[in-house]
Amino acid sequence: MKIRVLGNLAILAATVALSYGMQVTKPHYADLTAPLPVDGAMGKRVHARSFDVRLEKVVFARQLKTNQFGQEKLLTTSGLWAVATTSLTATDASTTVADGTWQGPTDLRYNQTERLGYRQDMPPHGVDPGLGKLGLFVFEVPPDQIRGAKLLIAARRFGPLDAQARISLDGVRTGPDGQPADILPQYDLDAPPRDQGPQDQGPQGPAQETRP
Amino acid sequence: MTAVSTDAEPSADPQAEKKWRRRGLLALAVLLPLTLAETSFDSVREWLRGEDLIARDIAFGQSVPFGGGSWKLADLRGGKAGRLPEGAFAVIATFTVTIRDPDLQKQWLGCKLMLIDAAGHRWLPDIIAGVGLPDGVMNCASAIFSGAKPGDTITVGDTFIIPQDAVKTIRPAVGLGSERPWYLRFQRPPK
Repeated sequence: MKIRVLGNLAILAATVALSYGMQVTKPHYADLTAPLPVDGAMGKRVHARSFDVRLEKVVFARQLKTNQFGQEKLLTTSGLWAVATTSLTATDASTTVADGTWQGPTDLRYNQTERLGYRQDMPPHGVDPGLGKLGLFVFEVPPDQIRGAKLLIAARRFGPLDAQARISLDGVRTGPDGQPADILPQYDLDAPPRDQGPQDQGPQGPAQETRP
Repeated sequence: MTAVSTDAEPSADPQAEKKWRRRGLLALAVLLPLTLAETSFDSVREWLRGEDLIARDIAFGQSVPFGGGSWKLADLRGGKAGRLPEGAFAVIATFTVTIRDPDLQKQWLGCKLMLIDAAGHRWLPDIIAGVGLPDGVMNCASAIFSGAKPGDTITVGDTFIIPQDAVKTIRPAVGLGSERPWYLRFQRPPK
């Protein structure tokens, strides 16, 4: 009788401990349904579920020049502007690729800038199967978040269990202080990319084959 | 004392209890899938209504009732026009629709014109700089608000950009909210 009571108590205690353990280690719902990362490198085609993406190059600049409604604007930042050029294509059906995130080496995440307003080469990028398209993702990042960073690209901002391309920026040359080796004083988004500064940041050099 | 009194009576009980336990287990085998089906029913229905999954193949020249109207492929033409990326082709697909139910805002909700190639790739309409729709042709969205009456025949169409290697096998298709998961896939016009 006594053994039985003790046994029941032990089972109860074990159940409570197990339940508590499960409760405290339960992953957050957002983590359970988080996007599924697909890893890749610069200049390599990364195959996400609904689209393919290749990061062609990343240009860093202290100022960004752009045209807004016919007015020239010069955007400054206390960090650095990072302009990522990607070539995108849809896998099965016409779709849009809208979300880009800069993930720093310490897993700090930076959303794309919203200061540029509407531009044709900015997200959301409409992509079609079999047709390549160059699309930009522009970020403002602190200089110490560049070495070892990753670019995350997904079809939507909150796409539960959808694929997310995670491209490591290993092709970016950085100096001993961790800052990019080439920082342009100014980058003009409306000028043809060939006319400006260093273009050989990608491991494949100026990978422009999709541009006529 | 008490143990004896309970012991004496249920000499037949273990049998009954076993039986009920078995019934309970069997019921579980039925009830669990039923519960799963019931809880996911709405999601499944919602998903099916949002996807163009099952094609109805339509011969060229044939007119079929779909979403409160009668649909027929009018024309499919392509070419190099306007400002297109390298290796791309512009395509215009047009359909003639005879309206029967004028509540297009309900019937044509989520109207989608598509091109589908032999491999199953799907292209949605694109805006092509320098290429407009022919006179009298409207796209799906404008057709919904065109105020068409029963008996009216309207021409619905759109422009697409597709890669050159898909041109040979593309077939125009139509999906409407009121008909999903079914959609119409038309045979190409003969050359």
